[in-house]
This record gives sequence, structure tokens and C-alpha cells, in this order.
Amino acid sequence: MKILVCIKQVPDLESRFKPDQAGVWFSDTDLAFRMNEYDEYAVEQAVRLKEQLGDAPELTVLSIGPDRVVEVIKKALAMGCDRAVHVQDPAAHLKDPWQIASIIAAYAKDQGFDLILTGMQSQDRGSAQVGVTVAEILGVPCATTLVGFSYDGGTVTAKRELEGGLKGVVKLKIPALVTCQLGLNTPRYPTLPNIMKAKKKEIAAVPVAELLKSEPLAITTSFHAPAKKGSGLVLEGDIADLVTRVIGILKEKTAVLR
Amino acid sequence: MEATREIYWNVGHGVVWGMYLFAFIAIGICAWGFWTRLPVYRQGKPLSRLDRLPERIALMVKAMLAQSKVLRVLDPGALHALFFWSFALLFIGTLLIMAQADFAAPVLGIVFLKGAFYKLFSLSLDVAGALALLMLGGLMVRRFFVKPEGLQTIRDDYVVQALLFSIILTGFFAEGIRMAATEIGANPQLARLSPVGLLFGQMFLGMTPAVLSQAHKATWWVHFFLAMGFIAAIPYTKLRHIFTTSANYLFADLGPKGALATINLEDESVEQFGAASIKDLTWKDIFDADACTSCKRCQDRCPAYATDKPLSPMKLVQKIGEIARETPEANLCQSIGEDVLWSCTTCRACQETCPASVEHVNKILEMRRNLTLMEGSFPGDEVRTAIGNIEVNGNPFGLAYAARGDWAEGLDVAVMESGAEVDVLYFVGCYPSFDKRNREIAANFIKICNAAGVRVGILGKEEKCCGEPARKLGNEYLYQMTAAENIELIKAYGVKKIVTTCPHCFNTLARDYQDLGLDVPVEHYTTYISGLMRQQRLKLSPEPFEFTYHDSCYLGRYMDIIEEPREILKQAGGQITEMTRSGLESFCCSAGGGRIFAEEKIGSRINVARVQMAKETGAPLLVSNCPFCLTMFEDGIKTGGVEGEIRVRDLAEMVAERLAG
Repeated sequence: MKILVCIKQVPDLESRFKPDQAGVWFSDTDLAFRMNEYDEYAVEQAVRLKEQLGDAPELTVLSIGPDRVVEVIKKALAMGCDRAVHVQDPAAHLKDPWQIASIIAAYAKDQGFDLILTGMQSQDRGSAQVGVTVAEILGVPCATTLVGFSYDGGTVTAKRELEGGLKGVVKLKIPALVTCQLGLNTPRYPTLPNIMKAKKKEIAAVPVAELLKSEPLAITTSFHAPAKKGSGLVLEGDIADLVTRVIGILKEKTAVLR
Repeated sequence: MEATREIYWNVGHGVVWGMYLFAFIAIGICAWGFWTRLPVYRQGKPLSRLDRLPERIALMVKAMLAQSKVLRVLDPGALHALFFWSFALLFIGTLLIMAQADFAAPVLGIVFLKGAFYKLFSLSLDVAGALALLMLGGLMVRRFFVKPEGLQTIRDDYVVQALLFSIILTGFFAEGIRMAATEIGANPQLARLSPVGLLFGQMFLGMTPAVLSQAHKATWWVHFFLAMGFIAAIPYTKLRHIFTTSANYLFADLGPKGALATINLEDESVEQFGAASIKDLTWKDIFDADACTSCKRCQDRCPAYATDKPLSPMKLVQKIGEIARETPEANLCQSIGEDVLWSCTTCRACQETCPASVEHVNKILEMRRNLTLMEGSFPGDEVRTAIGNIEVNGNPFGLAYAARGDWAEGLDVAVMESGAEVDVLYFVGCYPSFDKRNREIAANFIKICNAAGVRVGILGKEEKCCGEPARKLGNEYLYQMTAAENIELIKAYGVKKIVTTCPHCFNTLARDYQDLGLDVPVEHYTTYISGLMRQQRLKLSPEPFEFTYHDSCYLGRYMDIIEEPREILKQAGGQITEMTRSGLESFCCSAGGGRIFAEEKIGSRINVARVQMAKETGAPLLVSNCPFCLTMFEDGIKTGGVEGEIRVRDLAEMVAERLAG
């Protein structure tokens, strides 16, 4: 069995974001980077599946981006992936989800992966399109927003998070692709021996030009902070007085009491 | 008549052969008992504890003979010390008799147990015996009748008490009977110099010589066999502490307090980090269990134990001994319990007080290393998050690393860059950098330095967590990663002196970083301010205030800095009311050992307990010297419901408000 996990390195959301010079994405200055949260669930699930199947599957982790993404690749290797592919692309942030999916699909198409796992979306761009698009290009079934996963004899049973707190269960025959959501699992903390071992695992570097053959379908034209509209108001004082003032404001400025 | 007595009276000198035979047997049984324990210790890893031997021997002799460690807690230390000295005197008396009767007289023809010396000998031993009996009585009352909380009584205690009591009593009976037959009537002057023997002898006056002779022989032999039993029982009962605790003084850790072995992460042949089983600890860690006397002083001072957490340092140390002897293959952390290991705040109160020089804290840390580095385990998800935050942003809050220096905006501080001219580097630490309340410490420290004309630099957004909480949680890898980055920066800027406001940063930079190649003097701001005042560079205009003072563990117990902060506060106009637990006996705020990141889910809250102690002094103000303590006390005042009754402030705030001019 061959498994592929696709991960992305994203800036920590507590960082201070500023537009880059071109004004089409954020600048890298002063940003701290980490593995996309949803991708961590994907890595964890893949490693658990590998453990369930007695270490038999070969687990490949793939990430697209500049040299710094090797950091998250190493983390995935330390968590238990066997080998890695780094698609080298200093301008990955300018590619649209269609192009990113095309790159992954181009890499995966001849590799015979039985299962592909991705995060349900990235924390920075948040398009939630890459996983499903990869499945579409490869022509394999796909289930999104997994909060439960089990595998038995060539069938994935996926518990999906739906709207309004509902859950749905679907079964997919492999080869298949799933995207992972918060709540699926708690990613492990890599142990020191595994961190050491990860240093010796293979990271194959592939220039993006070898895999990318398609043009973007959606182009980001501008990146900026939302315009400031009004400001918060902190009321202080006696409770009875506060109630009167809140009612006043609600009547005056909103439609809720009309 | 010359003052002396016939040794071996009534039993005859012929008993020496039997006596020595049984003595050798008893000593043999004793030696065998210790011999069979050696393989238990040998399961541990090697560790050199016989370097600096003369120093070690001096320390051992002092701790043994002066009972200096035992006497640090007078109740019941004084009972033990007086018993020890009396018993030692009785032992010396026995040796003198042996020397006189079996060597000096028969071999050299010398009699020294006579005249004035005999009188002194006779009186001293009688007094020593009486004192030993009294102390034993006191200890017996404590052990069996007025039991202090947490005292464990086992089979050994009955055996030891019975043996010691009966040895001394039979000794006095044998003496009394001998005196009734030979001394009380014949030489009443001399008899008065054996007052206790005289008292016992009164009971036998008027009996026939034949009865006295029979009674004496029987008592003598019973006394003798009890004494031999005592020797033989040493390794098999708590009596073993006579040797093991003394040896532990010899094997004591002479390194800086709190030093923890720095793991070589480059060594790829190492496959086990921390202690997963008994063989991953050192022989000393196992030996400590045998040196422990179950005095429970550690337990009495343990903040985790005091607040109903599953940790007792004493029981932990004993459990290690039990595992080493009975189930050496067992999983150490699981046998002891993860909750036990995570409960420790590394406050070091146990180790500081231990009269047997047992090292509790590093055992816990070695086991935590196994949990963290080998099993990826944490005391809770909130800790996992904090550790993840340090990895990504260099601070446990997960705030943007680029905001680390924001607190200094508008203050007279240089952000280090090559060639920056500063007198000291202020290593700010995470809490004074990011936490709103603790930023007051940082700002006020700068204010103080400005007033003294000290040029201060900070690393700003380049500074990272010193790594201390991670290290104390067992995460040596993360600690060394962040430490390496900090050290590289500090070296690159050619820093000559570092000051910290956090005692955790202070210990880490001053001691732990040395192993990783940092060799720059580091000072805590309390001693630094104290120095500035001494040099007249900093002048205060005192304004009176009443306060009580909390010694943070890492400044007090770890660094022995106790007087300087009090002196500063006194000069600032402070009138101190001490808490019962202060100085080396201070009670932790709960935040050490990485517990600052952890929710306190078991038992009651340590910080609330400490705030309560502060409140009981009646002082309206609690002054601390550590950002972790300040955080815990602000919280403890709110959750403990004493808001409005007591406030907590940092020493820097008190000083900054009283700058002269």
C-alpha cells in the first residue's frame, strides 16, 4: 500500500501580517511558520493507518514551497512518514489552488498511491479546493472534512462533519482521497529518537517546473487589511445603568428592538 | 582504693572467645546484608561521586558527628542527635573496654581504665545511657502515641525500638547487679559515679551472691546477644541508615544546585533519553532509597503533597528502591505514575531539607525526560500547546515573536545590534515581554537602570524563551534548540554582562547555558540593584510600607539569594513581617518545573495556599521577585478570595517608586 500526505507550511496566525511589495500576498518579514493545522491531522491519520497495517504501507509526504518548507517536511518525517518530496517553488504563494492541485496530481499520477490525505483547507489561503481538485484530476473518489477515519480491506469509512453539527458517514474504495478536519485526532508530539531518524530520511527535491503545466484559473489581484469600520465600545459602571445604555444603543443603532 | 572495676567480672575472661566468635558472626551477617544489596545499586548507570575526596570526607564527618543536617529541624532532630551522641559514647565505652581487657592488659600489661579516667568513664557512660534511654522514650512517644501527620511506621520501627530499649536496659541491669554485688557496699564513693547503675543496683541489694551471680550472667549474655543482634540487623532494617546515610553524605552532589546533566544530542548511538527503567537511573539514584530514613521532612515541605497531589518526594524515592529490588524490569514512569511525576514544581524544598542528602528532583526530571522525549507525553493539552508555541514563536503564549520587544517602546533601552554600546544586556524572558502585568517589572527595571545611569540593551524580537520550563518538563531537545539560538546571539553581540528579572532565566543562563558554551556573568536584578546601591549609583528615598516577602525557589533555594532583596526593601522603607515559611524554607508559588503552563487539576491550589500564608502575616502587601510568582499570586489573590486584603507587587515596582531625585 502506498499513501501520500500533502502538507503546507503556513504562517502562524498570531503573526503580524503586512502586504508584500506587489500587494498581492503577505510579506514574509517577521512571520513565524508552522505546519498547517489540518495537515497535521492528515499526517497523524496516515501514520496511524501505517501503524494499524503493521508498518507495511509506504508513507510519502509532499510539500510545495521555498526552502523553508523543509522544516515542516522534517516534522512530518519525525511524526512517522517514510520519505518526502519537496516541490521546490519560491513562488508557491502566487499559485492558485488549481495550479497547486495540478502540481500534486502531476506528481501522484504515476506513483500508484492507494490513499491521499490532505488538510481540509490551509490556514492562510483557506480555499479548501486543493484536496478535492487533486481527486478530480486523478479521477479518484473523495471525502472532505473528516472527523472520523477507519480502514479495512480496501475500504475507507469516513465520518464527515456537516453543517449544523450533523455528521455523515461515507465509504470509499481505494484509491481515494480524504481531507481532514479538526477533531479527527490529536497529532502526536515527535519523539527525540524519531526526530533523529527523520534527519536521515530521504527528501527528494523536484523543481516545480517539472510538474506544473497549467495556467492559473483565479488570480489574486490585491491583498490588504479590511477597511476599518467603526470601533468597539466598552461600557463601564453600574449594572442597572449599563442595561439602560445598552437598550438605548440597540434601539438607536440597530434593528433588533424595532 | 583505686577507682576501677574488674572487667568480665562474674562471667570470666574466658568468654572472650565465644564473644569474639559471635561478634564476628554478627559482623559477618551485617556485611553479607550490605554485600547482597550491592548488585541492586549496580543496576544503575555509573556516576563519579568520589572526586574531591578530602572535601567529601570533611562534609561527611561534619554531617555525621555534628548531626548538622539532622539538627536543622529541632523537633525531632534534637532527640535523634542526643541519642546519636549518647549511643556513640556508649559505643566508644565498649571499644575502650575491649581495648583495655583484650589488648592493653593481656598484651601490653597496661591498665588505663582506672583512677580519675575510670571515674570519668563510669559517669559519662551512665549519663549517656540515661540520655539515650530518655531520647528513645521521646522518639517512642512520637512514633507510637503522638504521631505527626504522614509518619509511616513499619515492622522495622518496632524491631529497632525494641532492640535499642532492651540493649540499654539490660546494660543497666547487668551494671546494677554487678554493683549490688561488688561496689555499692564496698565502695559507695565510686558507686555514686554510676548513678543509673546505682539506681538499678538498689533493686538487687540483699540478694544472695549466688542469685546475683546467676542473674548477672543471664543479663550479661542477653545484653551481649541483643547487641550482636543489633549489629546483624543493621542492613535488614532501617538501622541501615547508620551506614547508608553516612555514605550518602560522602556521595553528595557537590555541583551547583539544580545542575542537570546536559544530554548530548549529537551522539547518534544513544537510543534512550531519560529514565524508562531502573537501569537508566544512576547507582546513586537507587542508593538514595537506602539512605532515606523516612523522616518525611521532604514530604512535610512539598507543595504538591500539601495540596493533595499524588506526589510525596519520600515515597517516590522509596518506590525507586522497591522497583530496583523487586521489579527491576518494570516501566519506571508507569510504576510511579505520570501524575506523580508531573506534580513536581522542582521547588527543591525536599532536597534542601533532606538530612540524608537524597537528590529527589533530578530523578523526577530524568523520568520526565523519558515521558517527553521518548513518549511525546505532556501533563495536559494546554502544556502541549505552550510547548508548540515556544517551538514556533519562541514564547509559550503563541504571540508573534516580532512583538517580543514591544514593551520597551518609548523607554530608554537599546535593541542590540552589532556594536551597540551597552553596560548590560537585559534578558527579559517571556512573561515580562508579553504578559501585561509582568511588563510592569520590565518597565520598572529599566526605570531603575536609567536612574543609575546604566545603559541597557535587549535582544528584542531576536530573544527566545530561555528554555527553562521546557527543560524542566523533560524537553531537553527544545531547551537546547532555543538555548543555542540565544547563546549564538549573545556571543555575536559581544555581551559582557547579563541581568535578568526572572529567576528561572537567571538559573538557566548563569548555570545551565555554561554547558552549552555561554560564559558571560549573569546576575538577577535583585543583587544587581543591591550592587548599584552599594556603589552609591542608585539612591532611594525611603517611603514606609509594611510587607511580607516571598522567596522564589529559584532565587532562594537554588541561588541562596535571601538577604539582598530584604535589604533593598528595608532601605526602600519597608517593614517586613516574615511568613513562617521563608528563606530556604519558602513554599513554592506552584509555577516551577514548567507547571506555569499547566492547569492545576489535582487537589487544591498551591498559589492560593501561599497567598493565604502571606495574608496570615497581617501585612497588606506581598513582595515577590519573580514573574512566575507574580503571575501565580495575582491569580491566587483573586481565586483565593482575598482581593482587597492583600496585594502582590514585584520588588522592581517598590524600588522604582522610591527613586531619589
